[in-house]
Amino acid sequence: MAISFTLNGKPQTVDVSPDMPLLWVLRDTLNMTGTKFGCGMALCGACTVHINGEATRSCITQISSVAGKRVTTIEGLSADGSHPVQQAWMEEDVPQCGYCQSGQIMSAVALLSKKANPTDADIDDAMSGNICRCGTYQRIRKAIHKAAAMQSGKAKSAA
Amino acid sequence: MLAFHLPGRRASLPKIAGSPASKPFTPNAWLEIAPSGAVKIWCGKSEMGQGVRTALPMIVAEELCCDWQRVEVVQAALDSKYGEQLTGGSLSVRTSYENLRKAGAAAREMLISAAAEKFNVDRRECRAENGRVLHANSKRELAFSELVGSAVAFPAPSDPPLKPPEDFRIVGHPRRRTDTPLKVNGAAQFGIDVRIPGMLIASVERCPVYGGTVRRFNAEKVKSLPGVRMVIEVKPVHLTHQFGEKSGPGSRNYSCAGVAVLADSTWGAMQARQELQFEWEEGAFAQESSTGLHEQFVKLATGPATVLRNDGDFDKAYDASAQRIEAIYEVPFLAHATMEPMNCTAHFHNGECELWVPTQVPGAASESVAQALGIQRDHVKVHVTFLGGGFGRRLIQDYAVEAALISREASAPVQVVWTREDDIRHDFYRPAAYHVFKAGVDAAGKPLAWLHRAVSPSIAVFYSGTGISAGAAAEVNAPDFPAFGVPNFRLEFARAESGMPLGYWRSVENSGNQFAIFSFLDEVAKAAGRDPVEFLLSVLGPSRKINLGDEGMIDVERRRRVIQLAAQKAEWGKPLPKGAGRGIAAHFGYGSYVAQVAEVSYDAEHGGLRVERVVCAIDCGLAVNPSGVQAQMESAINFGLAATLKSAITLEHGRVQQSNFDDFEVLRMKDAPPVIDVHIVPSSDSPGGCGEPGVPPIAPAVGNAIFAATGKRIRRLPIREADLGDD
Repeated sequence: MAISFTLNGKPQTVDVSPDMPLLWVLRDTLNMTGTKFGCGMALCGACTVHINGEATRSCITQISSVAGKRVTTIEGLSADGSHPVQQAWMEEDVPQCGYCQSGQIMSAVALLSKKANPTDADIDDAMSGNICRCGTYQRIRKAIHKAAAMQSGKAKSAA
Repeated sequence: MLAFHLPGRRASLPKIAGSPASKPFTPNAWLEIAPSGAVKIWCGKSEMGQGVRTALPMIVAEELCCDWQRVEVVQAALDSKYGEQLTGGSLSVRTSYENLRKAGAAAREMLISAAAEKFNVDRRECRAENGRVLHANSKRELAFSELVGSAVAFPAPSDPPLKPPEDFRIVGHPRRRTDTPLKVNGAAQFGIDVRIPGMLIASVERCPVYGGTVRRFNAEKVKSLPGVRMVIEVKPVHLTHQFGEKSGPGSRNYSCAGVAVLADSTWGAMQARQELQFEWEEGAFAQESSTGLHEQFVKLATGPATVLRNDGDFDKAYDASAQRIEAIYEVPFLAHATMEPMNCTAHFHNGECELWVPTQVPGAASESVAQALGIQRDHVKVHVTFLGGGFGRRLIQDYAVEAALISREASAPVQVVWTREDDIRHDFYRPAAYHVFKAGVDAAGKPLAWLHRAVSPSIAVFYSGTGISAGAAAEVNAPDFPAFGVPNFRLEFARAESGMPLGYWRSVENSGNQFAIFSFLDEVAKAAGRDPVEFLLSVLGPSRKINLGDEGMIDVERRRRVIQLAAQKAEWGKPLPKGAGRGIAAHFGYGSYVAQVAEVSYDAEHGGLRVERVVCAIDCGLAVNPSGVQAQMESAINFGLAATLKSAITLEHGRVQQSNFDDFEVLRMKDAPPVIDVHIVPSSDSPGGCGEPGVPPIAPAVGNAIFAATGKRIRRLPIREADLGDD
């Protein structure tokens, strides 16, 4: 079944079973492997993407439900790693094994789009669905605060 | 002519430099300098988050005296020229340090010789710095790029001079990870991201009981499902090559029996697999349960045991003690639960097998695959991808063997992808254990007698077989703390029988043993009416070096120093609000010394238990990348906290009862301490390990902090709400 949606700003059509999760369409049909498989049950957040700007677990999102929507993956966050959250992640040297980090970053970007200056409690709420076994949580907290500061700085200088 | 030699005019030395080189300078396996001056450094170990792709190249770059900003790190495939590529035991920096220094230094010396010839001066007047060779007397310099063509003509010194540590510009200075840019944009290629043309994906249903086999299954029905390309039975293979151990009679380490469903997509394979129906030959392990194993532990706790250490006379001293303390500690089986589930891509063709595998031991992957396929080891080519976590799970090559066997049957490249359920249910688990302690103190609160009897199944027996000695089979070590600190000390081990597949889980036996030891030590301190830090230091005794012969040396000064540093930085003794408390524990191993103070709060009404802060002091000798050491301590603390607060594997009818992150819980953001303070002891001692030694102290530090906060003693992991509340 042909399903059309917008992927990282460009029109995309795939012809797959309508119940195939978006995760596997990205990874196997489109060979976009930045979005990771971790649990298959929306328990770990490794597969997080944005659908119409909302952080969504792609492992349980049937491709049919994505028709006509805007999907953003880690590959679409910026062309050159320049998104403030990516920059903050690099400055805090957040990743270790790195496997969960695509999902962490996508969750963090969604959080910051809703709350420009999240508190630690906001971060706990928004990020507790993303597991990191290497234990980079403290650096993720710092990086989110740093990205928030970078974004508000940018907003101020633009004003 | 003078203008040619001014700094910043390096490019204007064509007459000296001669024609530009067309080939890179490749003096040894570890590095290459391109005619452009770009430097490539190979990493011979597997990057699983611990930072080897930064720390190891830093060592080469330091001695090479190149510009760190121009270094590109390349992952080494399996090749004997890289020496031992096993990545585990917190060994990478420790065992690579000298070799990598020599590799960098040899190249540097060749570059210096080439420059001296061009300068027409004695080479002893030249030195290398930041990608250039300088001749100070004449204020001339040549960039490495200008020496690439000529340096190769000079012999590589086998024993080049090494830089004095005070001259280090890279080693010992914090450096950001080289792989971070790839890990913030989705570009890092993990095993599961490998894409080979014509590749099929396999999802394997394995016998739910370890060691069981397939009796029959509905092959025809599943083969006929839409999208299914093949259905292949996978036989269990005895994995004699793990990472150096020798298997003997009674060795039980097998890959799993099962059936693989192959499809064009992972989803297709996973979906069709659900239609498989089996009759299994489950074997004897199907009778085992956690309850039964616990009963066995209790029985073994009072029966005969192997004595691993016996100082003085425990029984006599215990009987004569003014105060006697007893306690039992328990820890469960644990899965590794790396974020990247097990996977391997294999392509068997023309009698050879190529692997793309996230493995900690590419050599064992090639040996075990060669054995499984009945081909020569050098007919197995191994590409090492990024590892989405290792923690010891990827020391075992079962998933590589599976992929190779399936690829041969399928006559196609095949990627085997485990589901999370496969990963949790078919791990090689940290053994469950049961620890009995008795201690006696005199009227002044001085510990005189200490008995520790550990009971658990043995990892060593699982891999090596029952032929090994009782001592070698033990899950405790003769020099374990507080040996040398209590005059009448007896350490015993009783081995439990279990069918459970066992493996090496970050810090191995120390992950549970040190929880038991340092928690009981805190009990003894409290019973003796002494402050835990003061008590710990007094048990360690005065600074001295204790020679253990083959087992190395205990430097009590270094042990004391980390404890004092952690206590000081944690403001030990400073009053905390009601419901809050501090606890301390330490670990000495892997060539490093770690002490941690945990600060917890407990409020039954609001939020329950919280680990508020962890202060960690580490003396790992020379910290090659202090930033990496800090990250490994943070990592170890969070990883250890998962086992402290969340995780357990249990068995019923030989089946692991947990399957995903809903029932095998791990640490999440909301559970992670707001603050982890890491303090690295400045040192020029040879580098120690950092991946593991930060794990063991956190559980006892938290348990001891809970006692300080609530008066409740934590004697089993993970900590349950019922262990904290009012009786």
